[in-house]
Amino acid sequence: MQLPLSFWDLSLWLAVTAIILLVTLELTSPHYGTTNLLIQRKRLRNVALIISLLFLITVVIHVYNVIITL
Amino acid sequence: MPRTEKARTSRKTQALLSRVGETRVVSLSLLGLGIIVLVFSIICTSSILGFTGLGLTFWGALLLYITPSKHVQLELLNAMVTPALANIEKIMNTFNLREEGIYLPPKYSENLESSLVFIPSKDGQALPKPEDIDEENLYRENPNGILLTPPGIALAKLFEKTLGKSFKTTDLNYVQKNLPKLLIEDMQIAEDVNLKKENNTITMEMMNHTFTEICQETRKSRKAYTAVGCPLSSAIAIVLTQALRKPVTIEKSRLSADARTIETQYRIIEE
Repeated sequence: MQLPLSFWDLSLWLAVTAIILLVTLELTSPHYGTTNLLIQRKRLRNVALIISLLFLITVVIHVYNVIITL
Repeated sequence: MPRTEKARTSRKTQALLSRVGETRVVSLSLLGLGIIVLVFSIICTSSILGFTGLGLTFWGALLLYITPSKHVQLELLNAMVTPALANIEKIMNTFNLREEGIYLPPKYSENLESSLVFIPSKDGQALPKPEDIDEENLYRENPNGILLTPPGIALAKLFEKTLGKSFKTTDLNYVQKNLPKLLIEDMQIAEDVNLKKENNTITMEMMNHTFTEICQETRKSRKAYTAVGCPLSSAIAIVLTQALRKPVTIEKSRLSADARTIETQYRIIEE
């Protein structure tokens, strides 16, 4: 028994989630007048950045794999 | 099940929901469902279930993480703030004071955590000497006036706590650079903030801030409002006096016609 998601699947999931989170973060910015939304934006920002970073790490791993198989 | 027991169970469920919070219930349900789906995906070796489970678990956990634990309605805050200004108004009436309050720099208070505003009895009166200040007393003679704890002191402390830095160790450049970011992004108090200095006057323009109602309400205590300002202008005055290390007074506060923008002018007093 193992998780039926490959490394590539997880990378794709991270990319989609990171985009959704970053767009949400931008749209809920007080600069656009959203000052009454009951969420902790700092925490949302941290999560969005961590997910984006994790995606970038998976990309680096992919690139590294491509280079060493050349 | 008898009707009374049914009603009791429904009341218990409602009480539990209000205590735990609806958002929390949704988040926990998403999280629980996600974990179950993830387990099933492993048993059935299904990647579709895997994606679904991962998504549900993630969003459930995220919702739990980003939901504020407690929030207070603005109306409650309004109700709590206005009596403080009304009391200042009463004190001013008792001592027959009508001048603008002068926010005193940190050297005037022994306690590092406190801040003081001096309301003189007549215009152009000299400031008291730092060594003559007795923080415990309200009224002082020679120079005549009263010493108050400003209404924005707690808010100014909250600014410091959020920034992680005391304004006493900063300067105006730091305030100009960091205060707008603090008020817009970190505390989500306003949509836009501009702070500019011209000679001895610092003008702060704030667009659509959440204190609009409180500031309008505090205007009813006219003398107190002129002397110490609303809690937000008072907090900014404390920040400025601490960063500049000079006495500051709230000279003018103007609300735009659409009540969206408030412009407050602070005057730096040279000692």
